[in-house]
Amino acid sequence: MKTTYRLIGLMAVAGLTLSACAAPVAPPAQPAQPAQPTQPAATEAPAAAAEISLRWRTRPDNKEEADVYASISDEVAQKLGIKLTYEPGGSETASYQDVLRTELAAGTAPDVFWIPGTDIADFVQRGLLLDLRPYANATEGYSDSNYYPEPMFHLTYNPATGKTGEVLWGLPRDVSTFVLYLNLDLINEAGAPDPRELAKEGKWDWAAFKEVAEKVNALGSDIKGYGMNAWWGPFGAFMNAAGGGFFNAERNACNLNSKESLEGLAFARSLYDAGVAVPYGEDSEPPFRAGKVGMFQNGRWATPGISTVTFNWDVVELPKGPSGHMGNWLFWGAYVVNKNTKHPEAAWKVVDALTQPDIQAKVAARGTNIPSRVGEAVFAEFLKIMPEKNNQAFLNGLADKPTAEGPLWTGSWPDFDKAMSAKVSDVLTGKLSVEDFGKTICDEAGKAFNK
Amino acid sequence: MISATTALPSGRRRDRAALTVLTVWHAALCVLLMAGALATLASASALDLLTIALAVVQALLALGSATAAALILRRNHLGRTLSLVVNYVLFLACLIGLAHVLGLFMGLDDLADYMARGVPFLMGALFIVGYFVAATELRERPVPVARRTLGQVLMTIGAIGFALTAGVVPALASIPGKYVSSGLLPLALTAGAVVLGYMLWSMWRGESARAMGAKNIHSERLNGWLFLSPNLLGFTLFFAGPLLFSLYVSFTNWDSFNKRDWVGLDNYRRMFNLTVQPLAAPDQPANQAMDVQVYDELFRVNLLGQSYLIGAEDKRFWISLRNTLVFGLLAVPLAVVPALLLATLLNSRLPGMRIYRTLYFIPSVAAVVGVALIWQWMYNSQVGWINYFITSAVNLINSVFGTNIKDPQIRWLADSDYALLSVVIMSAWQWLGFNTVLFLAGLQTIPRELYEAATVDGANPRQQFFNVTLPMLAPTTLYVLITTTIQALQVFDQVFIVSNGTGGPGTSTLTMTLNLYQNGFQSFRQGYASALAWVLFVVIFAFTLFQFRRQRRASGAYDL
Repeated sequence: MKTTYRLIGLMAVAGLTLSACAAPVAPPAQPAQPAQPTQPAATEAPAAAAEISLRWRTRPDNKEEADVYASISDEVAQKLGIKLTYEPGGSETASYQDVLRTELAAGTAPDVFWIPGTDIADFVQRGLLLDLRPYANATEGYSDSNYYPEPMFHLTYNPATGKTGEVLWGLPRDVSTFVLYLNLDLINEAGAPDPRELAKEGKWDWAAFKEVAEKVNALGSDIKGYGMNAWWGPFGAFMNAAGGGFFNAERNACNLNSKESLEGLAFARSLYDAGVAVPYGEDSEPPFRAGKVGMFQNGRWATPGISTVTFNWDVVELPKGPSGHMGNWLFWGAYVVNKNTKHPEAAWKVVDALTQPDIQAKVAARGTNIPSRVGEAVFAEFLKIMPEKNNQAFLNGLADKPTAEGPLWTGSWPDFDKAMSAKVSDVLTGKLSVEDFGKTICDEAGKAFNK
Repeated sequence: MISATTALPSGRRRDRAALTVLTVWHAALCVLLMAGALATLASASALDLLTIALAVVQALLALGSATAAALILRRNHLGRTLSLVVNYVLFLACLIGLAHVLGLFMGLDDLADYMARGVPFLMGALFIVGYFVAATELRERPVPVARRTLGQVLMTIGAIGFALTAGVVPALASIPGKYVSSGLLPLALTAGAVVLGYMLWSMWRGESARAMGAKNIHSERLNGWLFLSPNLLGFTLFFAGPLLFSLYVSFTNWDSFNKRDWVGLDNYRRMFNLTVQPLAAPDQPANQAMDVQVYDELFRVNLLGQSYLIGAEDKRFWISLRNTLVFGLLAVPLAVVPALLLATLLNSRLPGMRIYRTLYFIPSVAAVVGVALIWQWMYNSQVGWINYFITSAVNLINSVFGTNIKDPQIRWLADSDYALLSVVIMSAWQWLGFNTVLFLAGLQTIPRELYEAATVDGANPRQQFFNVTLPMLAPTTLYVLITTTIQALQVFDQVFIVSNGTGGPGTSTLTMTLNLYQNGFQSFRQGYASALAWVLFVVIFAFTLFQFRRQRRASGAYDL
C-alpha cells in the first residue's frame, strides 16, 4: 500500500514538475481563416521560420484594447509564419516600465516590447535595444518619413555620434496629444461661449479659456471649471504655450526658470488660486465623469472612458498661449527589440507588421490612440472614429508645432522629472511661489544632466 | 594460508570495496573542485567579491571532500558525515542547474495554466474517492482487500489523468529537444546528478554506516539535519544569500545591467552628506550660501538669532527618513491603542461578539491595493464620501445652531499637509483588526482568578484594567508594538498606490521604501538602493532594540 501511495505521489509531483518544462499552453482553436495574400520574401528558410517563437508586449489601456492586441498578434503570427505570443503589460499605475526593466535585467524580457518615448534614451544607453537600421534598410517600402518626424528624430538618434538617421531603435506604435474634454451641458448652463466656436474663430486663447472656466465654476461650490491630472504633461503644456519648456533647445540644460516657463506656470497657478480648477494632485477624471467639471485636459487615451458619460460632451484643442501656439505635446511610444533576442530579423518583421496602416487602424478604432503614420489617407481614416463630429481637434493639436515627449540623451529623465514634479506640485498647491520656484528649480533639476 | 581478504564474508568485501570507491571519488572530487575554483578565478575578467565567493565555496567543498576521503580511509564516522554533506550539496546543485538549463524555472508561469487543467482532475472524484475507498476503515475493521484494490486503481487512474492533463506528455516530448539544443551542459549535469546520487546512496545505506562505525545517535542526527536541510538551504539561498549580496551591492554602483564598480562607502557618504552654512540674512538664496552643484536645500533654522541653511547631497533621503519616522509615530499608536480598547470590548460575553470580531478582522485580510484604491476614492475632495459627510455635518450644525462654520473641504491626498496623515489613517484602519485579534488572544489567557482577587480587594474596572490587564498583556503588547512598528517603517504599498508611485504631492508621502524602490527600479541605481535598504534595516533594528530594552526595564523579562 505504501509503495502504491509513493508511486502515485511521485507521478503527481513528476506531472507538476515536468509540466513546467512543457511548451506554452496552446491558444484556443481559431476559426478557419481565409487564404492569406502572398507573403513577402523571407530570408530565413520556411522550416526555420516555423520554429521561430517570439514574445511581445505592450501596455493596453483597457481590456478591450488588450483583446484587440491579442487578435492582432494572431494575425501577425499567421502573416509571418512564426509563433507569436502576446503578453498584455500592466497598466500605467502597475509600473509597466519598472517590471520591464527588471525583466531585462533578469534576462526574461520579451523579444519585442513597447516603451514610452521618454524611456528610449535610458534603454539605448544601457545597451538594451537592438539597432534595427540594417533590417529596415533591407525592407522594401520602409521609410523613416512614413511616421511623424518628432518621434523619428529620437528613434534614429545615435548617442555615440550625436547624429540622427544613422540608427533605428524602433518604430512608433501610436501618437497622442492633449485636448480639452468638454461638458457641454455645464458650459451651456453657465452661459459661457462655446470653446469649439471660439477655436474656429481663432479666439480660443488663455483669456477665453479662463473666462469659460470661471463661468462654469460659478455654477456651484461642487462644480469646477477645469481639471488636469498631476504629472508633467499638463503643466508642461502651459509652459510650452508661453514659449518656454523643460529644456533648452539642445536639450542638455534645464529651462524651467526661463521667463516664459515661469509665465506658463504662473498661469496654471492662477487657475488654482482662483479656485476654478480641481485641486492639483487629485484625479480629475472621476469628477468630470460625474458631471462636475466643465473642461478636462487629457490625451486621446481618455476618449473611450469618457465616451460613456451621460452628458453631452465633445473635445476642443488646447487654447493658444502667449507664444501664439497651444504648446501641446506629441506623446508617443515605440515598439523596440530586445538586444538579446535570438531572432532579430523576425523581431524586426514583427515591429514592422505591428506598425502597418491596417494594424494601426484596428487599434485606433478603439478610440484610444492616433496612428503614428502620417498621410492624408491615415488622417481621413482617423477622422471617422469617435468623436466623429470634432475629431479634428486632435489633429489640430498635432499640427500646431507640438513638443515631442522626448528622452534626455544627456541626462536622466526620471531624476529630472522627480525634482521638477515635486516642486511644481508645491507651486500648484500653494506651498511655493512661482518666484521661489524659479530661483531654485534649475539648481535641483539641473543635476539630472550631470548623471 | 588463507588471506584476510578472502576470509571476509562477501558482504563485507562489497562494503570495503564501496568505501574504497568513495575514497577515490572524494579524492577525485577534491581535485575537480579545486580546478573549478582556480578556473573561476582565472576566467573572471575582473576579480570581484562574487567571483571570489564562488571560488571560496568550491575550495571549501574541495577541502571537505579531501577531509572526507582521509577520514573514510581511517573509518572515522565523521568522514561519512562530511561525504554525505558534500555529495548532497553538489547533488542538489546539479539538479537545480539541470532544471535551470532545461528551462524549468522559466516554465513556472505556464505551470499555472496547466495546473488549472490538471488540478481539477487530481482533486476530482477519482483521486479523492479512490483514497476514501482504499483507506477509510469502517467500525475499526480492516478494509477489505477488494475495496482497497479498487481504491488504488481509482487513485492511479486519477494520478495518470492528472499527469496527462498537466502536460507530462508534451513535457517529456520537449525534453530530448532541450538536451540536443543546449549542448553538453545538460548531459554533464545529468551525469553529475546520477554519480552524486549513487555516491550519496552508497554512503547513506546501513552497511556503509556500520562499516564507518556510525552509531544510532549519528544516524539520528543526520536524519534531523536532512529534514532541516530544505529550510536551511532555502534560508541560505533565498534569504541569507540575497541579504549578503545586497550588502556587497551597497558598496558598488551596480545598475543591474553593466556597471558594477566597487565604490566603497561612497553610497553611504552621499546619503549622509550634509552641509550647514550660516546665512547673512534669513532669505539669502541658497546658491549664495552653499555649492548647489552638490547640495540641495533641506531646511533653514534660526539658532540664537543666527540663521543657518542645511543642505543635503541627497535631499530625498532625509525627506523620506523624516516622513517614515512621522508615519511611524502617528500610525503605531493609532493602530495599537484603539486595537487594545476594541479587544477589551470584544472580550466581553455579549451576544453577537463573534460576528463583530470577524468584521473587525476583515480589513486585515483585504488586499492592500484594493483597500488603498477604495480609500483614494473616499478621500477625493470633490466626489469622495469623507468630504461629503464632513460637508453634511457642517451644514447640519450650521442649520441647527445657526453657526457659520466654514466647510473645510480638505484636499486629503492633494494637499501636502494632509497627504501623509491620510495614509496614516488608512494604514491604521487596516492594521487595527489584526492587532485586535492579537490582543484578544492575549486577554483570553489572563486567568479569571486575578480579576476575582482584584474585585475582592475592592479594585474598580479602571484599576483592574491598569493593574491587572495591562501588566498581564505586556508580552502581547510588546509583540504588537514591534510588528506594527516594523510594518510602519516599511510602509510602501499604501503610499505607492495613493501617490501613483511618486511620493507626492511634492514629497509629502515619500517614505524610505518608496525612495528605495524609485532608486532601485526606476533609476536603476541598485547599489545606492541597497545602501538605503541597509540604513532602513539599521533604523528598524534600533527601534526594535529600543522597545526590547524598554520592556526589559519595565518587567525585567524578555532579555535580548
